[in-house]
Amino acid sequence: MASSYSADVVIVGTGAVGCTVAEQALDAGLSVLMLEAGPWVERWQIVENFRNLPPALKGGGHFDAPYPPKPWAPHLETYTEAVAAEYLQLEGPDALAYRQGYVRYAGGATWHWAGICWRLTPDDMRLKSLYGVGRDWAFDYHTLEPFYTRAEYSMGVCGPSDPALQWPPIRSKPYPMGRLPLGPGEQRLTDAAAKIGLLNIPTAQARNSGVSYHDRPPCCGNNNCFPVCPIGAKYDAATVLPRIVAKGGVILPNAVVYRVETGEKNIVQAVHFFDPEKTSHRVTGRAFVIACNGIETPKLLLLSRDDRNKNGVANSSDQVGRNMMDQAKIVTISTFAEPLWTGVGPVQGSSIMQTSQGKFRSEYAGVQIRMENAARSGIGGMAALQKGLVGKALDAEIRRLSACTGQITLEHETLPSPINRLTLSDKKDWLGLNKPNIYYDVGDYVRRSVQKFSVPTVKRLLSELGATDSQIATQFTHSDHIMGGCIMGADPSNSVVDPDCRAHDHENLFLPGGGAMTTGGSGNSTLTMVALAMKASDALVAQLKAG
Amino acid sequence: MVPILHGLAAGVLFIASSAVCLADTTSHSDAASIQRGAYLAKAADCTACHTAPGGLPFAGGLPIKSPVGTIYSTNITPSLSAGIGGYSEAEFDRAIRQGIRRDGANLYPAMPYTSYQLLSDADVHDLYNYFHYGVAPVNVASHPTSLPFPMNIRMSMKVWNLLFFSGHRFTPDPHQSAEWNRGAYLVNGAAHCDTCHTPRGFLMQELSGQTMAGSQVGSWYAPNVTSDPVSGIGSWSQQDIAHYLKTGILLGNARAAGNMGEAVEHSFQYLTQADLEAIATYVHTIPAVHDPAATQSRFSYGAPSIELATLRGENPIRSFTGPSPTGAELFSANCASCHEAFGQGSKDGYYPSLFHNSVTAEANPSNLIATILFGVNRTTAAGQAYMPGFGGKATDPNQLDNHEIASLANYVFAQYGRAGIVVSEDDVVMVRQGGPSSPLVLLARIGMGVGAVVVILLILFFSFRPVRRSQA
Repeated sequence: MASSYSADVVIVGTGAVGCTVAEQALDAGLSVLMLEAGPWVERWQIVENFRNLPPALKGGGHFDAPYPPKPWAPHLETYTEAVAAEYLQLEGPDALAYRQGYVRYAGGATWHWAGICWRLTPDDMRLKSLYGVGRDWAFDYHTLEPFYTRAEYSMGVCGPSDPALQWPPIRSKPYPMGRLPLGPGEQRLTDAAAKIGLLNIPTAQARNSGVSYHDRPPCCGNNNCFPVCPIGAKYDAATVLPRIVAKGGVILPNAVVYRVETGEKNIVQAVHFFDPEKTSHRVTGRAFVIACNGIETPKLLLLSRDDRNKNGVANSSDQVGRNMMDQAKIVTISTFAEPLWTGVGPVQGSSIMQTSQGKFRSEYAGVQIRMENAARSGIGGMAALQKGLVGKALDAEIRRLSACTGQITLEHETLPSPINRLTLSDKKDWLGLNKPNIYYDVGDYVRRSVQKFSVPTVKRLLSELGATDSQIATQFTHSDHIMGGCIMGADPSNSVVDPDCRAHDHENLFLPGGGAMTTGGSGNSTLTMVALAMKASDALVAQLKAG
Repeated sequence: MVPILHGLAAGVLFIASSAVCLADTTSHSDAASIQRGAYLAKAADCTACHTAPGGLPFAGGLPIKSPVGTIYSTNITPSLSAGIGGYSEAEFDRAIRQGIRRDGANLYPAMPYTSYQLLSDADVHDLYNYFHYGVAPVNVASHPTSLPFPMNIRMSMKVWNLLFFSGHRFTPDPHQSAEWNRGAYLVNGAAHCDTCHTPRGFLMQELSGQTMAGSQVGSWYAPNVTSDPVSGIGSWSQQDIAHYLKTGILLGNARAAGNMGEAVEHSFQYLTQADLEAIATYVHTIPAVHDPAATQSRFSYGAPSIELATLRGENPIRSFTGPSPTGAELFSANCASCHEAFGQGSKDGYYPSLFHNSVTAEANPSNLIATILFGVNRTTAAGQAYMPGFGGKATDPNQLDNHEIASLANYVFAQYGRAGIVVSEDDVVMVRQGGPSSPLVLLARIGMGVGAVVVILLILFFSFRPVRRSQA
């Protein structure tokens, strides 16, 4: 049993990665203490927060709106540009493309994820040797595969049983649940894609398809995955918190860790946190896991610099905070001659993935092409109102905009580049801690893809779908898949963590999650993050059991 | 912890490892008899108590939550070392129909031998064949049960049996049809419906004149299923009854959850149409027991309604869980995403409407509270019917506290069901802990001091009332 201020395993962060490590450690008989910067709020309150929002904040990407931040745990509010710029400091040619959304609440950003569970492919992990770009992972797909499977069974992932529709079709076990059906809009896309030789495949997703899983109900198609699943049919880490407590784990919300303390042999001795009264507390343990995703984890390491670690904890390689990656996103909004009717089922249910692979990757980036399946009625309703329509004309216009408009999204693989770097800003937050500052440039690799490959491809697709009018964004936006800031590698001189997500510099410090990913591919990052958390858990448990 | 139906068969059929080997395990077997026995075992729902969730069939080990401690169901596979492989047919018969195990000790009546006594010789023979030749032996002893004194005194059961155990076989009523008699045999024998549905008296005997009139069973309430059109199910046709037993659903009336959901899942859905119709024929004639306080059938209460207007614009966007939510707020956030904004359920009937629903109109609020706490998980040929629990288990993803559940239940009763039913936090506590509690162990020990044997009997039977909550 963990006391308030000591445990075998001290975990900073209660998102998907932290909760995965917590449960693995508890199952192995270790005591666990979790420290969460933000509050612990029940689902029903967040659902009500969402429903009480003004219409303008319900749609249009304001996924943080039902999660108002505490002063001591700021995250990115997207209400206005000014508020969004308040915490995260951004610079560089594509600064706005790194305005990542994440939630500093118990349960973390999976509160408002889509539940998408793509795996990396074997090729995604060998970019350097196959295509001469980026980096190779320290291990291959077959090493990671068992951890992918465990992650899928831990979260409850549904997916197709037909190998032709699996991504990639290299699996040791079937998905725990069968696939969800496609809504009418996604079926239209699938048919149109097939005509130009592209395969739109059902998404592997952490969502219950027709049956219960881990005491969660089957999805009933509220189409509300952003910003919260009102019934918990989608896996989010908040659903795991009661299980962790039932197994004896201790979860301390409103505890902002601001320092990792090292001692002899550079072993981590403690972490220090502020409570909401700005009082500091010291927490000791045998092993420490920083699971605050790709921005807060490197920020904390840099904040923790000491005499032994003058560049920051775990940073003898100078790679902490570098190689910041995401999938660089290009959004297209189109009007179609015929109704598409997106919005039936979950907010995302299929993607074209084959465009992420190929020899072209020596020259330009692969891309995931996806039709968003979020209902368009909110966006359509706001647009129709702004036209000043009333009565039947208003109804008809809402219906037309809901049925006949659609968003197709292009998510490009970015390469790990040391110039894309998180540093500490001189600006301080409410607690007096340095805010994170990020320089971001998506790179020519991505820009060439947009020019030669991804946008030309989506134009053909839109034409096949009968688009009468399309707006293709010229600015990149963020996919919220934060990767790279604690990059993994076998060589301590150019990477932060070893293949078990253990810091090269500190034998009892683990940094699993998106930050450890060597490359990101074109798919969503969460499943890989949880798989790495599984791998790190095994190493951590073995290490503590060995004494 | 998974409590179960016949609170008690625990530790009951424990077999000594020195059991005599059967001379020949195959010569006695008869495929048709085994098959009939398998069917009867379904009808008797043996698996409900003797198979643990995720465990091997009939290997026991299901933890049973009782007010006097946790007891574990026994291994009734033909294992010689761990099960009932050493039982002769006569010994098996004595356990089933007289409640006496092989070593002569009495079973507690959580093992429903008071119902099984009606079984015919032929059916007991088939059951014996099934459990000896049709079930795979599992050589793992189920978890031993250790109950506190004086609950371990089985001799007292002999006195109770003298008072309340008739030892009668089923006698057909010559004035009724063969179908009716088949139904009566199943309902009162193998299916042991009365075990839950008939209220009990001072010594926990079933009350005559109150047969099937409704009774609390642990967290849940087994309602009146007599032919009274207001208090019972007299408004249902025989077809309705058979359909309900087969599927667990009678649209616009009732859904099976808790113990009844399990009875449908493990037992009734496997019965032949002829047997279901026979049961319906008999149940339709169970003498009406009318509750004088009842003025309206529990299937007819309520109407669609909504109180969203009281919510929107009233509450701020909070970074903490609201400390005192209204019932309307809790309903909107926890229930309406599936049961719909007006409580009308889904068009396909997967999600029930909350009006015209027996749960929201029963005078005893247990079933509504238990449904919110423990949810519904019933699998039939039509698939799984599932509702998550809201805190009945510590691992439930969403945890509502007693105050919140009382507020929510009061709102649902007032808004969609029988207005005037008031749920207190104490009611929620009672259902959460698995049913009414009593200081019986202490009373029994005091009772022993003054030689009050009657008190012990009361304790034993009250304690071992059939108690089963929904499976984990």
